[in-house]
Amino acid sequence: MRQDSYGDPDRDDHLIRELYQEFGGPLLRQVRKTTGNDLQWAEDVVQETLVRAWRNSAKLTWEPGLLWAWLLTVARRIVIDGRRRRGVRPREVEAPEEDTIAVPDGSDRTLAAIVVADALRGLSAQHREVIEETYLRDRTVSEAAEILGIPPGTVKSRLFYALRALRSALKERGVAS
Amino acid sequence: MSASSEHFDVAAYALGVLDDDDVEAFERHLDGCAQCQSELLESHDVPGMLDAVKADSVSPERTRP
Repeated sequence: MRQDSYGDPDRDDHLIRELYQEFGGPLLRQVRKTTGNDLQWAEDVVQETLVRAWRNSAKLTWEPGLLWAWLLTVARRIVIDGRRRRGVRPREVEAPEEDTIAVPDGSDRTLAAIVVADALRGLSAQHREVIEETYLRDRTVSEAAEILGIPPGTVKSRLFYALRALRSALKERGVAS
Repeated sequence: MSASSEHFDVAAYALGVLDDDDVEAFERHLDGCAQCQSELLESHDVPGMLDAVKADSVSPERTRP
């Protein structure tokens, strides 16, 4: 994608439109998984994500897979920030059991929840804990570090190996690429 | 593949939980690090799957009193 579009309002508009065309739909589908039925919120998140992409136009030269992964991380941070700003915390997620996992809103989602909860249960306690205390509770690394009483660097390294272990557990269950 | 500390941030980054102060530095690192790029590519759909067990998929508005 071009990145020579700064400064000219028409070209800026064009770039934003291009970003929407290419990523708007897929991003909205991903974001809605975290915002539930709140379509308006999801649309706001997509817009903010694409505006940030436009401001960081150097990233637009990244290869498509990486650019997509980057856009997802941007959207995720916006959702987490939004939820924190509005004072909404995810329901506490203890070592997930079948009967405590997310309220199902469709059979696909229910099945996914069961498989993912099962994969999480298969991780070591340390690995599961660090995923729960960060992503599943909308906490940043430094917040989780404080709660767990370990250095932020340790949270990061545990997360690194936890994510790898989770990936391979999901792969074993046939749900990850 | 082993990973030294400069590459650990990729997991927190992929999950969107890396602190803001670290994000910019990590993105600079990511730009030139093939190992982190491939780690990110492999991890980028995991958070989406974790959302299935994240029991908060209701909107903030809806949960307000």
